[in-house]
Amino acid sequence: MNQVRFLLVDDDEDDISVFQEVLEDITPSILLTCAGDGTEALKLLKHEQTKLPDIIFLDLNMPLMGGKECLSELKKDPQLKRIPVIMYTTSSQSKDIEETMLRGAICFITKPTSLSELKHILSSICKNVHSNLEKCLRTLSDTSGTFIVC
Amino acid sequence: MILIVDDKKENLFSLKTLLQLNLYEADTAASGEEALKKILKNEYELIILDVQMPGMDGYEVAENITGYSKSKDIPIIFLSAVNIDKRFVTKGYNSGGVDYITKPFDPDLLLLKIKTFTKLYKQTKELNDIKLNLEQKVEKRTEELQHANKELETSNAELQQYAFIASHDLQEPLRKIITFSQILKERFTANKEASQYINRVITSSERMRTLINDLLDYSKLSVTPEFIKTPLNLVIQDTITDLEISIKEAGGKIVVDQLPSVKIIPEQMRQVFQNIISNAVKFSKPGIPPFIKIWSDYTNEKSTESEPSSKGTYCRIYICDNGIGFNEQYLDKIFAMFQRLHARAEYEGTGIGLSIVKKIIEKHDGLVTAKSEEGNGATFIIVLPIK
Repeated sequence: MNQVRFLLVDDDEDDISVFQEVLEDITPSILLTCAGDGTEALKLLKHEQTKLPDIIFLDLNMPLMGGKECLSELKKDPQLKRIPVIMYTTSSQSKDIEETMLRGAICFITKPTSLSELKHILSSICKNVHSNLEKCLRTLSDTSGTFIVC
Repeated sequence: MILIVDDKKENLFSLKTLLQLNLYEADTAASGEEALKKILKNEYELIILDVQMPGMDGYEVAENITGYSKSKDIPIIFLSAVNIDKRFVTKGYNSGGVDYITKPFDPDLLLLKIKTFTKLYKQTKELNDIKLNLEQKVEKRTEELQHANKELETSNAELQQYAFIASHDLQEPLRKIITFSQILKERFTANKEASQYINRVITSSERMRTLINDLLDYSKLSVTPEFIKTPLNLVIQDTITDLEISIKEAGGKIVVDQLPSVKIIPEQMRQVFQNIISNAVKFSKPGIPPFIKIWSDYTNEKSTESEPSSKGTYCRIYICDNGIGFNEQYLDKIFAMFQRLHARAEYEGTGIGLSIVKKIIEKHDGLVTAKSEEGNGATFIIVLPIK
């Protein structure tokens, strides 16, 4: 498997540690980078030495720059707009879903409470990130117990 | 005070003396113009007006007086020596007079008339004052009410916002309790006792999460979305699809008749059917698969008892199940917030479902009730205006 790079933009340390643990469980070949808010993420991504991630997981409520604004900024940048963005948040409000999908997110996942569920989701994404990402997400949203909208 | 208007000084003098002798205050004006000036300036309770005067005559003066709002109610008695013909008398009344006296006159009779008219004027004035006072009071009260209403609206909106934020933020720590309990459960299940305790933590937290979600749903109901004419069959079919798994697990069967299209908030009405149908599935008799029948009729009144009428403006929807039913003496309770009729160990639930139903139906200007007997199934009846 090619090395997979994930970027998680989230200010919640508990959520980050759970995410990290689950990824380590799946395969050590995933490189996870974290950013605590939108500005930090953009700064990181626009840095010359940064290798761009294969996928971005983006929280909604964060200090300084929230997920929606960060998403818009990402989609404005000619280099960054190609990276698929998955909203990864506690919200399940239709307003948030509609708005982020309109701004170009490919998927909206409500943070699951079950570790095995998260593992299932992340490992599917990891396997398909280079080829069948959209199809994989759609299958996940149809079959998973977690709230996923594509 | 009484105003006497006459161009002849001797007439003014004799009338003024007559009035003063009878303890009336009297004022005089020697022409129509002077009279109008004085009326604007002073308060009079009666005007005795000569008809024939040089310049402005009595009729013109009277018309002017009745034209002012300040003086329009002051009674005018015409006094004339020359114009005693019927048409002059008529003209006097038409121009605003209350009486037309011809000379020579009987002073006693004049005094009696003055007494009557001043008394009438005083009463009219008192009545007007009361009316004005009342109007002012009503206006003030209306203003106060409108103000209070606005304050209520604001605090209501704040409260909804508060409920929404509170329940939304409550979810966050709870989600973590569940997540980390799950991790404990998944990784450290060696000790059986510990795993049992963790299971209890998870079950309770999940229940709390349902509760918070239900509260969130309830607080969201206060926003006003759009009413759309929607086939009820469509709404119910959606609901059944959503509940497919639990219906299948229970071995349930649902029969739905042809239902009409009604102007509703589809998302909310879906919730109504979801809550009622999932209750019907949940409260089934042990060992007996749930059977639910849904049908409707029309009626002319917002009532569950009124006669059906095919051209009625209300639609009644019946949702009948074969479950455990309930004692009708608890009818009010089942629609109240947090009210449950069963122990949690017997049947899951937060006690918010039917209160959401009630709130939604009331928002649709309809009514909801149920008929049941303990052990004998329940029929929920929803009455909705078709619009």
